[in-house]
Amino acid sequence: MRPAPFAYERVESVEEMLEALARADGEGAAVLLAGGQSLIPRLNARLVRPRRVIDIDGIAALDHLELDQELRVGALCRHWRLEEATSLDGPWAALREAAAHVGLHPVRTRGTFGGSLAHADPAAELPLAAVTYGAEIELRSRAGQRRVAAEEFFRGPHRTALGPGEAIVGARFPSPKPDGVSAFAEVSRRVVGWPLAAVCVVLHAAEGVIQGARVGLGAVGPAPRRAIEAERLLEGSALESSAIDAAAVAAARACAPAVADGVDEDTRRDMVEALVRRTLAGLAGAVW
Amino acid sequence: MAVVRGHVGAEAPRADDLPLVDGSAMFIADLNRDGQLWARVVRSPVASAVIVGIEISAAVRHPGVAAVLTADDVPDVQIPIRLPFAATPECELALQPPLARDRVRYVGEPVAVVLAEDPFTAEDAAELVALELEERTPVLDLRAGSGADSVHDRLPDNVVNRVPMVCGEVDRLFATAEVVVSESVVVHRHTGMPLETRGLLAEWEEGEGRLTVWGAAKVKHFNRQALAQMLDLSPQSVRLIEVSVGGAFGVRGEFYPEDLLVPLAAMRLGRPVKWIEDRREHLVATNHAREQLHELEVAASEDGRLLAFRDRAWCDQGAYVRSQGLLPALLPALQIAGPYAWEGFSIEASAVLTNRTPVGTYRAPGVTEATLVRERALDRVAAELGLDHVELRRRNLIAADRMPWVFDLGPQGEPIVYESGDFPGSFEALLAQAGYDDLRAEQRGRAPGGEAVGIGVSAFCEVSAVGPFEQARIALEDGRFAVYVGVGSVGQGVATVLGQIAAETLGVGLERVAIHHQDTADTPEGFGTFASRSTVLAGNAILLAGQDLRRKAAAALGIAEDTLDVDLEYARLAPQRLTGEGTFEKEHPSFTFGANLVLVSVDRELGRVRVERHLVAHDAGRAVNPALLRGQLCGGAVQGIGAVLFEELRYDRTGQPEVSSLEDYLLATAGDVPAVEAVIIENPAPTNPLGIKGSGEAGMAGAPAAVANAVADALGAGAESLALPLTPARIRALVRARELNAQPEAS
Repeated sequence: MRPAPFAYERVESVEEMLEALARADGEGAAVLLAGGQSLIPRLNARLVRPRRVIDIDGIAALDHLELDQELRVGALCRHWRLEEATSLDGPWAALREAAAHVGLHPVRTRGTFGGSLAHADPAAELPLAAVTYGAEIELRSRAGQRRVAAEEFFRGPHRTALGPGEAIVGARFPSPKPDGVSAFAEVSRRVVGWPLAAVCVVLHAAEGVIQGARVGLGAVGPAPRRAIEAERLLEGSALESSAIDAAAVAAARACAPAVADGVDEDTRRDMVEALVRRTLAGLAGAVW
Repeated sequence: MAVVRGHVGAEAPRADDLPLVDGSAMFIADLNRDGQLWARVVRSPVASAVIVGIEISAAVRHPGVAAVLTADDVPDVQIPIRLPFAATPECELALQPPLARDRVRYVGEPVAVVLAEDPFTAEDAAELVALELEERTPVLDLRAGSGADSVHDRLPDNVVNRVPMVCGEVDRLFATAEVVVSESVVVHRHTGMPLETRGLLAEWEEGEGRLTVWGAAKVKHFNRQALAQMLDLSPQSVRLIEVSVGGAFGVRGEFYPEDLLVPLAAMRLGRPVKWIEDRREHLVATNHAREQLHELEVAASEDGRLLAFRDRAWCDQGAYVRSQGLLPALLPALQIAGPYAWEGFSIEASAVLTNRTPVGTYRAPGVTEATLVRERALDRVAAELGLDHVELRRRNLIAADRMPWVFDLGPQGEPIVYESGDFPGSFEALLAQAGYDDLRAEQRGRAPGGEAVGIGVSAFCEVSAVGPFEQARIALEDGRFAVYVGVGSVGQGVATVLGQIAAETLGVGLERVAIHHQDTADTPEGFGTFASRSTVLAGNAILLAGQDLRRKAAAALGIAEDTLDVDLEYARLAPQRLTGEGTFEKEHPSFTFGANLVLVSVDRELGRVRVERHLVAHDAGRAVNPALLRGQLCGGAVQGIGAVLFEELRYDRTGQPEVSSLEDYLLATAGDVPAVEAVIIENPAPTNPLGIKGSGEAGMAGAPAAVANAVADALGAGAESLALPLTPARIRALVRARELNAQPEAS
């Protein structure tokens, strides 16, 4: 459980990071080390064998969290900062709850937002939140900058839209309607641990009718994704129990879970249905 | 100064807590010797294969590598069986060599050892050892029988031994029974998971011809003897030393292949050698436990009297019979009768070889499996009779006035004897503490809310306080009473408890006593720490040694013994080099009663179980330290909850293990368990002067059974077989099956 040999390099700025990535391109696989909460165990288990590890953990410019017309999260923002950002309430509450569900407290003090996105575990909470909120991931390389919608960014288990020489520098979350509500829920084998199913919901209502609904599902497919049919069924409804039931069933139908932890697909679909129903029912109380 | 008494029964704080908390405690990973090499074991990647060749040249050439050892470099020896009563001639045919010679028989079996300057290099070079293997079809089915391939050619049907046991006229009892219930239970593979993995550091002093090994636990004197024999050394020239241990649970400290390989490498290379097992290795290399299949038939009368049972069991030994011999098959057989007044029973337990990691003993071995099997079946009997689960047990627990109770196993076996106890009284104490009737009312009250609430109980008799003896020596050293014993400390607090007994016997303060157990160089020969024996055996040896010391001191000073204050007279006694010696012999093991009551709620939709209350009643004979005793009961119960809900060492169809880290081998966390309630019963044991009964394993023994019964009760599935562990998938399957069954009535 000790890593195979690799070259180690610490960088102090975004420019140095991009230079180092570009240089490393020639010599084979390089990885960025941020909080190390996913990478270090994988290095130790020799599941990844990079030639070079570029330590970006000290780039102060990437460690930020700003909320105004939109929410901007830096790649090195630690999970606990999201978790403790009390300004993230109402429509943003699900993002905070998602951050609070990541691992255990020590993990959240070190693990980073960008690291979680880049690792792209299908069960991870923050990628699910990014997809549900319609965030854009900001990528940079020496060649320039581009933005990729979260829904396009996650391509499968540990697969993303990151190209050679590219790094995540942050993400922009468009602001939901201010009077919206949101919630995050997940179920795992134990009280803590990887979820078997996770649900992120953001709703906006006017005069008793749902105007906009976003329902994201995590851990039940190769990448987090929205349950479009469930959203459609909710929009225009009064979040009455029949609408909630219909949305929950549609969400369960929309996911493609794999067998994991000895838990079969049917059970995970059942979990999605129950989680969506309970989450919506909880929000129904908050909305009306 | 007055003679100080009252230590036994007091809640003395644990002597070893402070160094553990302030970080000064030394674990094996903290120890280093100048010039040490690091060992890395190369392990079989497949479950069953013939070894065609092992190519080590690339590893040997790797910079920083000192040597690579294969089977040809190690003596042709095998790991011996520690307990004579668990050894048979057939067992001897399936013992494990330190390195695989011609065949590999499980994923993780050691085939070579790399010695290098640092642990990184050792791991790099280990990857360069190339194995040429001709794969065979692995034996994975416990009932594969003689049609399958053989794990060991000399045991063609893969059965090492059958353990038969017969008591009473079983066939007649079944013929007269009004109710016969059959239950098939598969106990799943799981094992002890100390947070600290195994590790060793060995040093050979050529000039003195002396070998020192740090990292011992559990059975250091046996391991010294075995190691000396394998290396052709005298036991006196081999020294095994315990350091702080992060849990043992029966798996840490047995003799494993590495226990020879690391010292052997130190001798061959003339440099100290260190080895620390990593978690992935631990999950395939350290003893597994529990996996067995039981088919149990129970015969009862219409009025709820248990008459007889027949148990057929297939107990997985894994790929080799390790140092605990036949215990995986023997211990369930000894304990499946439990605390009930059966008129007869018959048992046939087969010890079966498979191409999986070898099986040993894990906290409360045998009794945990047996209790799960029996108590599940008893709930089925209760369902069949329409009796409350508790009532069935009340009607059948052996009454206090029938002690000692004997199950006569005829001329072929030693009888099973329950020496003492008040089983019904202890059980009632548990029910009273739980408020059983109120709990049933609560269960009914919560049902309309859609909550599935269940109550489960289990009762058991656990074999403990196994002999043959322990010794103690008390000397006056460095201003204190130095007590030397041969048992081990594995984090359970035994030094504190033994210190209390020593202080009580001598009549001195706790701070005047020092317990020494770590080093084979200065401790008396002992049998170690297992089977809830340390406090009973070593405690009584200390009692005898303390009495001996007081006698000698009184004689030396010419003072009447009953007025002697040894502490006050310390200065006069110390120069006389007085030592007290005591040997406590115990021919027969003792059986101890315990029972559990558990309240669970089950989330039907998510398939999740929440244990809301968990009570353990345990007859400790006499609680030397109630706080530590509660800690033992609580820790065991938490492990038992984890075992039945989370832990599983799964294998795929090719014999590959499916868990490789604590991310997929799930241990119960603090949030997954309630505050465990301990109900301590004190019915003194008649077979030792202190009256103590073994307590280290009692928290575990009945926990999985009670949780499983509670879940079945919650789901109204009392009469169904449960597959374990109780994963969300399995709970959902039960719920779905019951919903399907319910539908026709509804429509």
